[in-house]
Amino acid sequence: MIENFLLGSSALFGDPLTLAIFVFGVLGGMLFGAIPGVSMLTLAAILLPFTASLTPTQGVMLFAVIYCTGTYGGAITAILFNIPGAPENAPTAFDGYPMTRKGLAGKAVGAAVLCSAIGGVASALVMMAATEPLAKWAIRNIGPPEIFALVFFGLAVASSVGGRTIWKGWMSVGLGLIIATIGQDPVGGIDRFNFGFSDLAAGIAFVPAILGFFAVSEIFVQAEKTAKGRYEAPPVNMEFPSFFELWQQKFAVLRSILVGFFCGILPGIGATLAAFMGYGEAVRWSKKKDSFGKGNIEGVISSETANNAATGAAMIPLLALGLPGGALTAMMVAVFQMHDLEPGPLVFYNSPDLIWVVFAAMFFANLSILFIGILETKTILYLLKIPFQFLAPLILLLATIGSYIGRGLVLDVMVMFAAGIIGFMLRRSGYSIPGIVLGIILGKIGEQNFAQGMQMVHYDLLDYLSRPVCLILIVAGTLTLASGLHKAFKTNHASST
Amino acid sequence: MKMGNLKNSHLIEGIIWLCGVVVFFVLTYDFNQPIEIYKFGATGWPRVILGILLFVTLGNLFHQYRFGSATQLGRVGIADEDEEDDNTPSKVAIVKIVAVLATPFLYAMSLKPVGFYFATPFFIISIILLFGERRARWILGITLFIYTLLLFLFMVVLNAPLPQGNVSPFYDYSAFVLRMNTQFQQLDLW
Repeated sequence: MIENFLLGSSALFGDPLTLAIFVFGVLGGMLFGAIPGVSMLTLAAILLPFTASLTPTQGVMLFAVIYCTGTYGGAITAILFNIPGAPENAPTAFDGYPMTRKGLAGKAVGAAVLCSAIGGVASALVMMAATEPLAKWAIRNIGPPEIFALVFFGLAVASSVGGRTIWKGWMSVGLGLIIATIGQDPVGGIDRFNFGFSDLAAGIAFVPAILGFFAVSEIFVQAEKTAKGRYEAPPVNMEFPSFFELWQQKFAVLRSILVGFFCGILPGIGATLAAFMGYGEAVRWSKKKDSFGKGNIEGVISSETANNAATGAAMIPLLALGLPGGALTAMMVAVFQMHDLEPGPLVFYNSPDLIWVVFAAMFFANLSILFIGILETKTILYLLKIPFQFLAPLILLLATIGSYIGRGLVLDVMVMFAAGIIGFMLRRSGYSIPGIVLGIILGKIGEQNFAQGMQMVHYDLLDYLSRPVCLILIVAGTLTLASGLHKAFKTNHASST
Repeated sequence: MKMGNLKNSHLIEGIIWLCGVVVFFVLTYDFNQPIEIYKFGATGWPRVILGILLFVTLGNLFHQYRFGSATQLGRVGIADEDEEDDNTPSKVAIVKIVAVLATPFLYAMSLKPVGFYFATPFFIISIILLFGERRARWILGITLFIYTLLLFLFMVVLNAPLPQGNVSPFYDYSAFVLRMNTQFQQLDLW
């Protein structure tokens, strides 16, 4: 492994063009992740056609690097503006933004930098050491029933955080799931809920929906505050977390690495669910549950470690099985196909150079998060000093471009603004925006795998439960839902109106 | 009839959700056709979700009947500003909020006929004004800065295709901007 890693590293740093592409990917991912309104997906969508003129190694490496650094970059906007750069950063905002409001933005961003780097590097090391055995394990033990069970568990966890009550948490996830049914059904290709728009046959594109629910709704919330004369700029603070503060979170980091890696390795799941489950587990194991959502640094650490730990793991099903784990890895499949390559087990034998350059690039990209991130943080915190009336049009326009570029449809821009208005209304009534977004992302994956799983077990639900991984996840999900229901009926309430 | 802690706003909220569930359920009959290889067809999954939504909407109404808008103790991930604000805003504030909600939508609708290149400066000015900025120099300066920055990043550096409009003279303006970009790209600056 070490020999291959050194060979990959020398190929990466030995060729000036490959190195320049690596640096571009690192900076581009961080920048597009950290600009409110656009994300790494916007950059990837723009760059996709240009990869045809690169070698396959350079093209795949560029996207892998953007994936690593973009996943971290999205945490910055989540923490500073309550606008997650990507869905995988949504749980980061739960505690990161309250920290910013308390004048602790430096600590939150510092923790995100360090933990993203730790999660990413750990994941890259495991990926290098164990891609082939893990892929074999996944082939033997993970099928559609297990993926559906994980989606079920993930949605159960998502509904337990974010809404004002458990009912609103579930309603948010349900809304996301019903939005995900718009477009063709995944089995028979029958049009559903297209309201007469042929462009909706492919469904609601999730980039505009995410931008609308997160970025646009946040602008509307701030606009309402301005209109009521209640807007206050958050205080800027450059203080980083101390070594002692971070050392106290060592178990949270380790737990999140495991959660992130497990979620990342499963095809179709990716970093978003990892972040939610990392956050959910942090709450479950914490002695100070009430402090979550009010500015607990453990919330930022758990979510950011888990989502970056999932980036390396998500490459395993992509490279070993040819199954993408999310939107960006799906674009990587397109890069492979542009060069007449198919990701899958044969890539390891036909193109070992490509694999090890990509592995080395991901390792160094995660490491660079630490160094560039610390330098970048102090500059980025100054964004908080820009008056919001000047930042708002820029964010709205970047979001407009970000949602238009994906498919070149003005309809997507309208969907984004409609999602923004709906998100604004729902937030005012205590619904969970991250819950809606997770429902949208996982809805189709859940339905597709449920259908395939049911066909596999000949519609015998008990057969589902005879599979150990599936059983554990279904039981865990059911217990999460049951405990939520129990709390809804038994617990006291914080305030009554 | 005693309504517990239920307020009119809770009832309206509940009715909107229930209507949504009913409308979507009725719409499922538009694609209620069998799929040969899949027993539950195209309607199975959406109908189960609608059933769950119906259950949780009724649960939410029951919860509001007992506790009103109270936040459930132990819930995590709720920012203070996501808490319900019971202060009724003034009429001016309501007009401003409605204008902020409507302006981006109007901008999106104008993209197809007018195009990104022409509509964008007006949109930037509108949003800055709606957010309360009144200093003309700042408004014009920031508008020019944001417009130039976006054109440089997405048109010059990334060559991203943006809506050009399909109505003259807006389309002609977009064509002019793109022609300028082509000429700029052909300059041998290095």
